[in-house]
This record gives sequence, structure tokens and C-alpha cells, in this order.
Amino acid sequence: MLLTSVILVLREVLEAALLLSILLAMSHYLELKTRWIFMALAGGILGSMVYGAGIGTVSDTFDGMGQELLNATMQFAIYGLLLLVGILLILNRRGERRYLPLLQWSMVLAVTLATLREGSEVYVYLMAFRYQADLLQSVLLGAFIGGGIGFSIGALFYYLLVGLPRKRRLIVALTLLALVAAGLCLQATQLLEQADWLPAQSPLWDSSAVLSENSVLGQLSYALLGYEATPTRNVVAAYLCGLLLMTALLLLAWAKSRSQP
Amino acid sequence: MSIRLFLLVALLSTITLVNFIAALHGYRASMEEAQRLFDRQITGTALLLAALPIDRTAPLVVEENDLQAFQVRSADGQLLMRSDNAPTTPIGDVQEGFSEQNFSGFRWRVYNHSAAGGRSIRVAERVDLRFRLADEVVLQSVMPILFGLPVAGLLIWLVIGRGLASLRQLASELRHKRAEDLTPLTLAAPPEELLPLVRSTNALLERLQASFERERRFSADAAHELRTPIAAIQVHADNLANLLRANDAAAPESLRQLQESISRMAHLVEQMLNLFRVTPEHYPARFEPIDLHRMAREVITELYPAFARRGQEIELQGHAAIIRGDRFALVLLLQNLLNNACKYTPEGGRVVVDVKQQEGVVLLRVQDSGPGMPAEERERVFERFYRVGGDRHESRAPGCGLGLSIVHHIAELHQARVSLDTSSLGCQQSPGLAVSVIFPLQVSK
Amino acid sequence: MESRIKRWLLRTDPRNLAVAVVVALVVTLVPALPAQAAHPEFQLEIRDHLFYPSVLKVPANTKVRLIVINRDTTPEEFESYELNREKVIMGGQKAVIFIGPLAPGEYPFFGEFNPKTAQGKVIVE
Repeated sequence: MLLTSVILVLREVLEAALLLSILLAMSHYLELKTRWIFMALAGGILGSMVYGAGIGTVSDTFDGMGQELLNATMQFAIYGLLLLVGILLILNRRGERRYLPLLQWSMVLAVTLATLREGSEVYVYLMAFRYQADLLQSVLLGAFIGGGIGFSIGALFYYLLVGLPRKRRLIVALTLLALVAAGLCLQATQLLEQADWLPAQSPLWDSSAVLSENSVLGQLSYALLGYEATPTRNVVAAYLCGLLLMTALLLLAWAKSRSQP
Repeated sequence: MSIRLFLLVALLSTITLVNFIAALHGYRASMEEAQRLFDRQITGTALLLAALPIDRTAPLVVEENDLQAFQVRSADGQLLMRSDNAPTTPIGDVQEGFSEQNFSGFRWRVYNHSAAGGRSIRVAERVDLRFRLADEVVLQSVMPILFGLPVAGLLIWLVIGRGLASLRQLASELRHKRAEDLTPLTLAAPPEELLPLVRSTNALLERLQASFERERRFSADAAHELRTPIAAIQVHADNLANLLRANDAAAPESLRQLQESISRMAHLVEQMLNLFRVTPEHYPARFEPIDLHRMAREVITELYPAFARRGQEIELQGHAAIIRGDRFALVLLLQNLLNNACKYTPEGGRVVVDVKQQEGVVLLRVQDSGPGMPAEERERVFERFYRVGGDRHESRAPGCGLGLSIVHHIAELHQARVSLDTSSLGCQQSPGLAVSVIFPLQVSK
Repeated sequence: MESRIKRWLLRTDPRNLAVAVVVALVVTLVPALPAQAAHPEFQLEIRDHLFYPSVLKVPANTKVRLIVINRDTTPEEFESYELNREKVIMGGQKAVIFIGPLAPGEYPFFGEFNPKTAQGKVIVE
């Protein structure tokens, strides 16, 4: 059970932790207070408990597709928030300190939603083994290891971003943000396919032999780049559209902030 | 960002990552090895069953433990023997070797073995049980890595603290340095990494000290050099005035203004010299017990004509209070305070000097009924050459803006504190000024 | 290269660009919005952390409606990397998952909460 726990928890923690470290690094660039993360994490954990406890009810809505639709909505909402964060970051890149409350709240909401979404699965999983004493130890140990690996990668990633040279760090952070955001579009599209709200096709390619989604590296690529071993046409299209839309809007914001005196 | 927190988090993360992935790898490898062992156990059972001479028409049902189940069939597919937990239908894949299948409410790993004579032997083991058995054993080897983590964290915390001790020492030495203290930093055996910092800081302090010294000496020298020619000009101007008076000619207005300007300049030079004389770092103070009350009376007596000329009332309150101080400096302090009071209080006003000992301090307070000083100006008046309202002070009193700087220096020399407040003699239109100098009774050296 | 893009962006009206992106999105995604045709139905059950049946045969190149009923009291997560599917099914609950259309082949799935025993595969023929 240890390995199962590790993989399950690692996958969920990694996604939230990477997003958190990117946003935290951005806060650091703008010299904002980082107290918001406690609020976001507390909100996310509380929310994941509520969602985890009510997931059965949610599933029964929309002809049994409530889970998929709610998750997809959350992913798209996070995408929108990240887009907003990116644009506000660009508008603040010379230390203008504009729209800071909006920026902070976008970050809080994005992290809260991400934690809520990833945390609910961990919550349901851990609750399932609550009364199985013989397995509980192994499950908790695995969860601990998975969480440990996820948070460690997040922490090291954060220091990597914070330590980047001043000239390049904004570009790097924005690129990462765009990739993560595009990954969210991809996941949401997949959920809509699963719910039959979007048509599905055969996968365009199968790269599971090169990089399995099941491995730690595969999980990392999944969380950071939205890696998918067997994507369908729509999923690839959604990824590219998400990426393009974000890149276009960010470049526009950049051009606008440059043309201003 | 704290270096200590950064190092702790970064190191602990690295250790966690490396250790946990290693533990995971070890766990996975051990589990695979355990599965191989179980598989060999299955093949052993299969071979044992193959060697059994069974010749029956009705199938033999044998009792078995939870873990294993088996079936033995003849070449024509007839069930010869089975364990009590195995079904009568064939289990496992048709092909020889290992496969996985659900039956009897569990998932099994099944080994299909064709023995000599076409007999087929199928042995199954419960997947969940063998996994759980292996898991229990392997977990014991993973545990220590986890328990080691908090210990590693604590050790790292302590080691980093030790490593940063010299940095902390340097920071505290810089923090406790007094503003005018320009002596070099002394760090016992600074580590290699801090050596450049200590060196460049000390070089900076040295340069600062030298430039302070140059500035001070230049101003003092300049003031000193100016004294003689000013005195000469003063004498010549007086002579000119006397000459004109002797010839019964009226002295022109410009000569009167010239004389006034000369006396202001003489005053300025005198004040500058006083200021540099009482600079705390350079003043050769000779401390002795002094009765401040008595000294105040002497200075008031000396300056009384000035007050009388302006029709001002001056009063000394309080009682004898002995402090350790430098006589010359304290007289200078009192003169400056009283001169200011006289200058800035309108004609016919009141000035009260108060000396008393209270709660471990000696308080000297000079209050007047003048216009006072706005609160926001009170910090700046100690700066050199700063005057409230610039040169267009409403009192039109001539001054050079050094008096309170001198007072400040002398107070510092005696480790005393100067504070400015509104006066109790004041009224709504002119709140008055109260200058308090608080001398500590115990002077630390 | 980068500066050329920026120059182009500066010259382009932002509204044109936004319109272009939205059009691109619509063109790619809309061609097949819910075509709620009747899909063949298949049923899976989870009992004691086991899938019944553990081998499911479905037709090739057809979208299939998979109904998974969890008869256990504990939750399970239906998961398949090959099918790109993932869904939490609480104890005693019924879930609907659409899969396919798929090319012929084997597609393993498992219960993520009990992956050792809850295993199965979809065989597409």
C-alpha cells in the first residue's frame, strides 16, 4: 500500500506545490507579503474536506457527471485566475505596485482552488483506510513520503525561481505559469470528454514507452507541463489554445506596459 | 529572507527528496524480490503436487490455508484433486506460466504447470495476502529513514546556527556601535567568507574617521584664522566711528550697519570655535563635582545686563544639585541656553531657570514666555546652522544657528538628554519654550 | 525574433488578436459538441476491492458508456492511464464513465485505492 499511497499523494501534492511555488516566487519578485499562502492553504484544506465529504452528492448531479463538471469548472477557473495573475504581474514589472489587492486575491483563490481540488482526493483516500488498522500504517507512511517528495520538489523549485537572475526571472516565471495553465486546460478537456460533453477521438500518439505517466518524472512533467502520454486531438488542441491565448494576452500586456511612459 | 531558514528548508528538502526516493526505490526492489520468492514457493508446490501419485475417479478435496489454492487435472481435463478453497472450474490462464485471476471473492496469482503424462497442475496464491505479508516485512526497513528525518532537521538547524554564529556576532557588533564610534570592528577569528566584509568595513570606517577629522580641523582652523582679521576690522570700524564723532560729523547709517555685521560675524566665529571645542570625541573634559544651581546663578548674574536691557524678568528656582561635569563646558551650555531665551523672548517677557535633583537625575530647565517652537522643528534645531524659519525669524534677533548644537554636544559629553517642549509660562498666542537638560547622576564611563 | 513579434503586436489592434484567438478556439472545439447519440452500455462492479468482470470486451471505434457500481462500503477511484480516465466512486455509488472510441487493443484499468487487487482490462475488438 505504501507505493500506492506515495503515487497518489505525490501526484496531488506535486500539482498544488508547483503552482504554489511559482506564485510564491512571483510574490517574492514583487516584494509582497507572503502571509496569503497560509490563508490559501487553510482554505484549500478545509475546502477539500468539505468537497471530499460531499463528493458522493456532487457525483450524482448532472446525470452522474457532477464530479467531472465541477472539476473541469475549477480547472478553468484556476486558468482564468492564473491569466489574471500573469497580466497583473506584467503591469507591475517595474515596481508600479498597481492592483496589488486584486493580484493577491487572485493568487489566494488560485491556490485555494488547486489545493481544494487535489486535496479532496487525498482526503477521500485517507478516509477510506481510517478503519483498516492493518493497512493504515502503510497508507499513512506512503502519504507522508509522497507529501515529503512533493513539498521538497516544490521548495527547491521555489528557491530555484527566487535565485534566478533579475533580468530573466519574470520571463521564466511567466512561461511556467503559462505551461501550468495550459496543463489545466488539458485536464479540464479530458474531464469533459469523460463526461461526454466533448467528443473523444483516438489518441494522437502514445509516448508511454518513452515517459510513463506512472513514474515520478512523468508525474512531474504532468504537473508542470501537463504531460499526457496518450492525448486525443481535442486535448492537444485545448492545450495549445490555452497556451496561445495566455501567451497572446501576456505579450499584449507586455507591449502595453512598454508603450506607457 | 533568513539565511538560516533558507538553508534549513533547502537542505531538508534535498535530504528528504534523495532519501525518500531512495527509500521508495528500496521498497519497490524489495517488494519485487519478495514477489519472486512467493512465485518460487508456488512453483515448488506445483512440482510437489506433480510428483504425487494420484489415481482416483472422484476428486479429492484437501484442506488448505488461506494463502494458497490448487487444482490437479488429468490429461483429459478431469479434476483429480483440489483444495477446499478452489472452485471446480479451471483457474488461471490456458497457457503455461503465471497469470492473475479473480475467483472465490479474491484476486489470485495462478501458476499453470503441465506435468509429465499431460497432467495439469494449477497453484494459486492470494495477491492481497502475499502483498500484505511482503509489505509488513519491507516496511520495517523503510521506517528508519523516516524517523531519521526530524533528527536530521534538528541537527541541520543546530549546525547552521553554529555556522552563522560569526555572522550574528558581526551583526550585533555593528548594531551596538554608537553613531560617532568609528573604531574598527574586532571579530575574533572571522571566517574566510566574512574577512572581506570586515576588512572593507574597517577600511570604510577609517576613511570616514579621516574625513571627519579633516573637516573638523579645517573648520576649527578657519574659525581660528578668521578671529584676528575680524578683531582688526572691528577696531578699525570703531576708530572710524570715533573719528567721525570727534569731528562732530554724524556717523552714517551704513557705518552703524557695518559695525553690527562685524559683531555678528565675530559672534559666529566664536560660536564655531566653541562648537568644535566641545565635540565629544575631542573635548579634553576634566570632570569634577559641580553645583549646577550655583553655576546657574553665576551665569545669570553675568548675563543679567542683557535681560535688564530688554526689560525681561529672570528668575532662578530649585535647589543645590551636584553633578560631575566639566566647568567650562557647562558654563557654555548655560550661556547658550540663557542667550537664546533672552533673544527669543519679547521685551518685558519672563524667563525661569529651574535646577533640581529628582529620581536619580538632575534636571536643568530653562523656560521662557517667547513664541516657542513648532513640534516638527524640534528635531532639526540641533543641526548645525539650522534656524527656525531661516534667517527671517520673526524675532529679528541675530543668530547663527549653532547655539543648540553646542548645547547638544555638551549634553552628550555629560551623557545627558536634551528635550524641547512648550513652556508653562506661555499662553495661547506665544506658547513659550522649555529646554530641559537631564543629567544622569551616575555617569558611566 | 522576439522583438519582431512584439513590434507586430504593438501594431496590431488588441481586439483583432483576441477575436482571432476566440475564433481558433471555437473552430477546434465546436465541430463536435454533444452529439448525444445512444452509446452501447457496459457494466462493471466493484466487490471486495475486485472488478467484476475483470476483463471487459467492447467494440472498436465506438464510444461506450461504462457504468461502474461500487458495492463496497469504501470509496474507490476508477483510474486508467491508457484510457485517460479518473473518477472517484464513493461506497455504494454508481458512476458513469464514457470511454472510446478506441482502436483495437488492451487497455488496463485499476482501482487507485486498492491497485493490487482491483485490476482489470478493457479489450477492444
